[in-house]
Amino acid sequence: MKAKKITSILLASTLLLSGALIGCSNSNTPKDTSAGSGSTQDSKDKEDANGGSTEAAKKIIVFQSKVEITDQLEELAAEYEDETGVEVEVWNTTGDDYFQQLKTKLANNQGPTVFSLAPGAEVEQMKSYVEDLSNLSIAGKIADGMATELDGKVVGIPYTVEGFGMVYNKDLIDPAKVTNADEFSKMLEEQKENGVNGFGLSQESYFLIGHILNTPFALQKDPKDFLDKLNKGEVKMADTPEFQEFAKMYGEIRDKSYNPLEVNYDKEIGDFATGKTASIHQGNWANGMFADYDVDFEMGMMPFPLSGNTKLAVSVPNAWFVNSQASDAEKQAGKDFLEWLYTSETGIRYLMEEFKFIPVVEGMESKDIDPLSKAVYDYTEAGNTITWVTNDWPAGIVDVYLKPVAEKFFTSDMTPEQFLEELDAGWAEANK
Amino acid sequence: MKKARNIGWYLLFTLPLVFIFTTVVIIPFIIGIGYSFFSWDGLPLNPKVFVGMDNFVQLFHDTRFFDTAIHTIIFTVLAILLINVLGITFALGVTSKLKVRNLARTMLFMPYLIGGLILGYIWSFIVGDAFSAIGEKTGLTGIFFNWLLNPKSALLALIVVTTWQMAGYIMIIYITGIQAIPEDVIEASAVDGANFWQTLFKIKFPLMMPSFTICLFMTLSNCFKIFDVNLSLTGGGPSNSTEMFAMNIYNEIFKQNNFGYGQAKAIVFFLIVALITLVQVTITKKREVDM
Amino acid sequence: MAKAKKILINAIVLILCTCYLFPIYIVIVNSFKNRSELYENILALPEKLTFEYYAKALEKMSFLNALKNSLVVTLISIAIIVVLASMTAWMMVRVNNKISKLLFLVFVSTMLIPFQTLMMPLMQEMGWIRDNLHIPMIDHLGGLIYMNVGFGASMAVFLYHGFVKSIPISLEEAATIDGCTRLGVFWKIVFPMLKPTTVTVVILDVIWIWNDYLLPSLVLSSKANRTIPLSTASFFGQFTIQWNMAMAGLTLTIIPVIIFYLCAQKYIIKGVAAGAVK
Repeated sequence: MKAKKITSILLASTLLLSGALIGCSNSNTPKDTSAGSGSTQDSKDKEDANGGSTEAAKKIIVFQSKVEITDQLEELAAEYEDETGVEVEVWNTTGDDYFQQLKTKLANNQGPTVFSLAPGAEVEQMKSYVEDLSNLSIAGKIADGMATELDGKVVGIPYTVEGFGMVYNKDLIDPAKVTNADEFSKMLEEQKENGVNGFGLSQESYFLIGHILNTPFALQKDPKDFLDKLNKGEVKMADTPEFQEFAKMYGEIRDKSYNPLEVNYDKEIGDFATGKTASIHQGNWANGMFADYDVDFEMGMMPFPLSGNTKLAVSVPNAWFVNSQASDAEKQAGKDFLEWLYTSETGIRYLMEEFKFIPVVEGMESKDIDPLSKAVYDYTEAGNTITWVTNDWPAGIVDVYLKPVAEKFFTSDMTPEQFLEELDAGWAEANK
Repeated sequence: MKKARNIGWYLLFTLPLVFIFTTVVIIPFIIGIGYSFFSWDGLPLNPKVFVGMDNFVQLFHDTRFFDTAIHTIIFTVLAILLINVLGITFALGVTSKLKVRNLARTMLFMPYLIGGLILGYIWSFIVGDAFSAIGEKTGLTGIFFNWLLNPKSALLALIVVTTWQMAGYIMIIYITGIQAIPEDVIEASAVDGANFWQTLFKIKFPLMMPSFTICLFMTLSNCFKIFDVNLSLTGGGPSNSTEMFAMNIYNEIFKQNNFGYGQAKAIVFFLIVALITLVQVTITKKREVDM
Repeated sequence: MAKAKKILINAIVLILCTCYLFPIYIVIVNSFKNRSELYENILALPEKLTFEYYAKALEKMSFLNALKNSLVVTLISIAIIVVLASMTAWMMVRVNNKISKLLFLVFVSTMLIPFQTLMMPLMQEMGWIRDNLHIPMIDHLGGLIYMNVGFGASMAVFLYHGFVKSIPISLEEAATIDGCTRLGVFWKIVFPMLKPTTVTVVILDVIWIWNDYLLPSLVLSSKANRTIPLSTASFFGQFTIQWNMAMAGLTLTIIPVIIFYLCAQKYIIKGVAAGAVK
């Protein structure tokens, strides 16, 4: 008798418990669940789509990796909803785990409508998930070589261009006097005599080795072809002149400046902003870091003078893509959003003034540009740019294989030759 | 009849949790085992190629994986010792008659609340910048130098930080164990003239055997799986000398997109560790019964 | 004399504990500094005590909404874990047959699987459940709670399993003779005696679930569902980390847990005292 009573109580409480669970599911607005789950709505939308012209969905989801513009993007989303009635939901994550999150979300059909990728290896890997955007009016207005294309079709609309090179203090360095490896090493010595570090890197993988190693790649006659051969093991860095010189310069940095492994990005920037370092290998993204400092000198960006290089490494860091696995209605809404972003007055205002992007699509002009972005813009206008081969490198190679070699280099007496051999070995390992 | 009822009770008590646990942990784990026979990058639309045992064969030629396994074992053994010694000391301290015991308990427990990136940032400052500054000022450069630049000291730094973070956590479990010891037993031993150490080793420790089993195992599992601190403090460096197992798998799966191979690594390591652990748990469990 | 010694010992303990918390000092101090101050000296006290970054962090995190979500997830998950795990563990100890032994081994050994290897298959499975069974496991607090229960099960069962044995079986037998069912025995006799373990499980799980980032980040996407750790993500850019905001956010995140622990501590002491009287 008692057993029955207790069982029924238990049953009731289980029901209550599951009721509570379902209860919180209802607290979710129904809107969220229907549009938030990319594919559940599909069947219905597809029927609509088959009926004739594609009708755009009333809600899209944007997921992108540039965390620095998240707030502004949310404001933009609100304005977009006011203007067009289409809701834009912005998902967020940290900059570091974006790609992993994106992959996991696409893998369980929870994909966003519009997302960002870095052109290159990432796009290659995700090619089944990116929609053809060549029908957009803006697709034809993208600056030369800046659109992301697959099989001749435009699939990605660039955010902006970013560039990196030597960010230098104009009071301490005259770029006309640092144009090759010898002058570079002389500069390091002179600065050292004055108690200043001539050139700085920092411990983060890309700032330690990733970006700076781009230069010898980009200086090859045909960087893509060289990379292919390197991946296949047909050429070696150790046998290539630009790399040999690079390794020597890298050694000079080790011998005549501070140890980058002891310095993180914040300190690198701080040392530069306070005049303790004359130049650092950085990009125009660093500009925001100077906001809290009273920088009392002018800064500029110049080419890293490997083998007499006179060009900045400029490329598209991220581009917008539309999820090809979304419903037709959602895809249409995503395309409408991108079209609006790059053509409407509000969209352009956000791109230029709030996101502070450098124009890559016709019909806009940047405002209040900072000195580093100005340098990138000027070099781009003059055609003095080399590409980012880094984006085409084997996935994960910088963190997993190159950084450990660089760390070993900075904590030992390894010679430049050994350094190149170890880089070659790492490269072979990554391609296994 | 009675037997059926007993089975009914058994199911009623265990089935709900077992069901949830199976759907959340066991099924994904089995799916993962399945993937270890494929060469695949983890994206459903991209090709899955069945490669049979290739991933496992490759594993035996992967020297980096062996290095990682060795670091992980060294790290785990040392960290388990330190964490437990410190944890039990803390627990004894805060269950004594000290006036400040409650305050101390809260304070010691707080480190576990800081996690991830921020923890690594703060500690890399302490064992890096602060240590080298102290070394320059005091001349004790043998102890105070930038710990993150040398493979051995970087590993030590990882152990110290993990201990700092986990000792208060483990303390909580030891406290439960100590408080479960009946007061009268302790009082009786005091009447018999036992000193502090005798009480500790002859009375308290034997009675705390279940806590030891639990704490040893919990530290073992936490240390084997260490990821956040590893990533944010040393990032595996310098030159891979502190790359732990979870980070190695993470890199394989998410940085290099070798999902199948990463799963194969996980499974092999899991088998090894599970074996060691089961032996450990069986031994300590036996001692509980003996006592 | 003895009194002076006591005070001295107390003082020493406090000083040691304070040193132990030095890293937390760094967190708090730097939540008041801007980038250049932080660069100048990470250890120094801030030049001025401005709560600017706290205010900004509160706003950017949509703190109240995130707090609500975190509370819902943490409380419900833990309630379910405690109830189900204690029941399971008790049954496993008392009916010590082959199935129980096997279950115990499975629970224990799975504690060694790194989450990183489970996350992709798990999310695929949950996506499948959502698409085919139409149970909203993803982007849903209920789904996250369900998964938390699954991941918390092992440790909780393990802890309960260890302490159930210290409960004399004679009490249970007496109750059974009095006509109690298993459920009655469990709730009236066993569960109250497991209180110290329950408190331990609750404390450990509160810390874990409250601070968990990876699992919620995979399960929850929409803004309305973000828990506190998820809401601080935008402070961590790929190239630029806003340390002051991040540290202010962290401080805001851990304050509720510290308050909780202080309350729980009183309860532990009471609980033990009550147990001792029996």
